[in-house]
Amino acid sequence: MKSRFLFPYWCRYLGLVLILVHIPIVMFKKDLGFDLHGAPGSDLFNSHHLFFMTTTLLMAIGLFLVAFAKEKIEDEQILQLRLDSLQWAIYVNYIILVISLIFTNDTEHILFLNLLIPLVFFIIRFRWKIFQNNRLIKE
Amino acid sequence: MKNNIRVERAIKNITQADLAEQVGVSRQTINTIESNKYVPSTVLALKIARVFGKTVEEIFTLSEED
Repeated sequence: MKSRFLFPYWCRYLGLVLILVHIPIVMFKKDLGFDLHGAPGSDLFNSHHLFFMTTTLLMAIGLFLVAFAKEKIEDEQILQLRLDSLQWAIYVNYIILVISLIFTNDTEHILFLNLLIPLVFFIIRFRWKIFQNNRLIKE
Repeated sequence: MKNNIRVERAIKNITQADLAEQVGVSRQTINTIESNKYVPSTVLALKIARVFGKTVEEIFTLSEED
């Protein structure tokens, strides 16, 4: 069985590099002179908006590459785990989305959570299942 | 679904890794099939049966909960 629409194996490492590059940039954003997610009410493509856009894209693309890179041996079980984890990720995402829509009106952070949770949860769940299978083989 | 891959492997004297390579899947997949944690697709079941030179029914059988 062929898995389609997946990135080559090495993209996983490219994705990890992008995520690792993104972390120090966001940590030291105050030192770099960007302390806001985008000054409210200001124009598009000002420096704050550009900074926010670049770092968010860096992270989102990084996560995307990690999540959807091929495994070394991409077989039907991996395909099933992938699909399963994706279902879980969507469930978790929508549960959190609904809860946050009810209890907050902070749309910017809801958007941000919505951007992160499906990919992060997918990666964690998928890796955990693969880890479990690997552990099983050593027993 | 039950299977006797482990027995067939012992008869043929091949490891999980050998079988995995011959049918084109990972060793983890063969391991989870043997421990009844994963049900293979029809294609994979046919490939495994072909390695042992038997029919699918001789290797895979339905269990009571199926």
